[in-house]
Amino acid sequence: MTPTDATPPAPTPSRWPGALVWTLAGLAMGVLYPVLDLANLAMLLVLASALAALWLTPAMCLAACALAVLVFNFAFVPPRFTFSVALHQHALLLSTMLSVSWIVALLMARQRRLAEAERLLAQRARQLQDFGATLRDSDDPRLRASDLQAALASLVGAPVALLLREGTDAGTRLGKAGSDGWEGLGMSLRHSQAMGPGTGRHEDQPDWYLPMRGRQAALGAALLPLTNQPEPTPELRAHAQALCDQMGLALERAHATHAATSAREQAHAHALRNTLLAAISHDYRTPLATILGAASSLHDQADRLSAGQRQRLAATIIDEAGQLGRITDNTLQLARLDTPGLALHLDWESVEELVGTVLRRARQRQPDRAVKARLQAGLPLLRVDAVLLVQLLDNLVDNALKYGGESAPVEIAATLESNQIRLAVRDRGPGIAPAWRERVFDAFQRGDPGDNRAQPADAPARRGAGVGLAVCRTIARAHGGELTLRMRQRGGCSFECTLPVNPAQAGAPEALA
Amino acid sequence: MSLTVLLVEDDRELRTTLRESLRVEGYVVVAAASLADAHALLANTDVDIVLLDLGLPDGDGETLLTTLRRGRSTPVIVISARETDDPKIRLLDAGADDFLVKPFSLGELLARMRVALRHRGTPLQAAITHYRQGDLRVDLRAHRVRLADEDVHLTPTEFKLLARLVRNAGQVVTHRQLLADVWGAEFTEHTHYLRLYMGQLRTKLEVDPADPQRLLTEPGVGYRLVEGED
Repeated sequence: MTPTDATPPAPTPSRWPGALVWTLAGLAMGVLYPVLDLANLAMLLVLASALAALWLTPAMCLAACALAVLVFNFAFVPPRFTFSVALHQHALLLSTMLSVSWIVALLMARQRRLAEAERLLAQRARQLQDFGATLRDSDDPRLRASDLQAALASLVGAPVALLLREGTDAGTRLGKAGSDGWEGLGMSLRHSQAMGPGTGRHEDQPDWYLPMRGRQAALGAALLPLTNQPEPTPELRAHAQALCDQMGLALERAHATHAATSAREQAHAHALRNTLLAAISHDYRTPLATILGAASSLHDQADRLSAGQRQRLAATIIDEAGQLGRITDNTLQLARLDTPGLALHLDWESVEELVGTVLRRARQRQPDRAVKARLQAGLPLLRVDAVLLVQLLDNLVDNALKYGGESAPVEIAATLESNQIRLAVRDRGPGIAPAWRERVFDAFQRGDPGDNRAQPADAPARRGAGVGLAVCRTIARAHGGELTLRMRQRGGCSFECTLPVNPAQAGAPEALA
Repeated sequence: MSLTVLLVEDDRELRTTLRESLRVEGYVVVAAASLADAHALLANTDVDIVLLDLGLPDGDGETLLTTLRRGRSTPVIVISARETDDPKIRLLDAGADDFLVKPFSLGELLARMRVALRHRGTPLQAAITHYRQGDLRVDLRAHRVRLADEDVHLTPTEFKLLARLVRNAGQVVTHRQLLADVWGAEFTEHTHYLRLYMGQLRTKLEVDPADPQRLLTEPGVGYRLVEGED
């Protein structure tokens, strides 16, 4: 019998060693009778009685002792083979023998009872502890209701029914019960009170109704039939109640967590909606207005426009639509990355390839502008989402081309530092005023006209950065990295994205043949 | 004789615009707004190329590709709304010829169609064995690669990788296809092999490996060797 045993009823100890002890003692006495005197023989009997008490129930011990004394008297006490007692000494011997045996047997029985109670207590404590651990490890305590059901059923030795609260009304039913049973469970749940024998309420009921109490209210109730428990003890009920309360507290905790999560998600959805609305009102209107203007001009004034003018209007529409496409990509990506639990499409990617893709896209968009790459040799592969990283670098390059001045080429640099890769997109533009250096990363912030970043004269060129840097930073952070802004010593901005490199992860083919 | 395009696109405006533009380019256009329509049209029409939009009301087009591939090699260009689109990659892995991400320009569409039509029927015709682009010459049969009139030495794996791209020059070849064809079916998850060998190939075949002009990357999808010159 181990303390991990979850089922409280101890296995019935076998009785045969007791009988064996008595038999052996009888044989020994028979053998030793010619050698030893009566008082010494009697000691054997006392010894046997004490030993046998280890296995026999108190009643059995008493009966066995009485029988043994009778047999002893009959077989050994002179006159032998009669029940009469010859001498006073022998009468004293026999009665002492009987008393000592009985006392020993009773003491043994008490000891055993105490040990049994101790064991049960330890076992119940263990059960509570285990169930508590199970509940803690479980995300949804409801899934552990069957464990509680099994534990309670093993306590009372009968199938147990459970009722769990669902939101505000009693909902989930587990196990079987009659309509009275379910009604009783509902009552116990509503009033958060135990009912049944020994509880002071509905004493006449044949079953216990125990609430699963949380701090505020009951979150469920259990029906424990007492058909197999003729005398249910308060300790048993206290233990069952403790198990139920553990469940109640766990359910309450789960409810609270759930409520907090949904409140957070709601707040999140609200913030996201505001962001998207801001994006649409802030960044979409201008390109749309330009497209509409150019398209309606082509539509309404086609015959009055020169071929060159028509060409320029069409080019404007293409450019602005492309711009709108970029803003849409960024806004959608920001919304997507904001979704909790988003899974990235991670794969091993080479920095050279990512940068190469960005260079090609920039050249396709603005063939007249120079973008250069300076990559350190021997960069390790990165475990990233290629589409997102390209979007990040592409936004930074687009930004640098727009605001970074045309005097010097935009530069993409990649360097390996101790445990990270630094990707920098640099320009030689006018830089960004200190007040704006953090705010540019907020969605829908841009350097105001009038600061030294962008002159009002090139206002049209400043458009579209609203969500760009915000999404870049979100992408960097989604990869466990960061995006920061550094002012360059001889003028210009350097937007620097650091990404962690895990050398243990960096996969390399076994043979480069 | 003009070529017939089956355009499967559920958005009416885009369908109309594309139909007009393709007609101007001399194609005969039959249009379908759903996969069911497309299946019906395919059964009755000789189609030379299919433009298949994903996210149709009645499915993502995998069955259409299967039907098409049954005995025919009609090129399929997948049109996808997002850069990361699992159905798109699935269709490409399953043998679709190329893809375009919305929004795209007419120029891009026509270029993709031209390449796809050129590759049409390659399983039946002689496989492409020569590739020429700028000062790069590849002769697959002779296992020979020349750059600016000098022989380039490629390792066997590098050559296999280049050959696979040459056979589909101008078209995207997915990571999975490259890994399966060059390394074997059990290596389809080992994208890091590809990264490293592509890096080596670029070092040997590109002027600036960080700014490739020939071996292009399609992020998250695969690689594309630029279309060769005839």
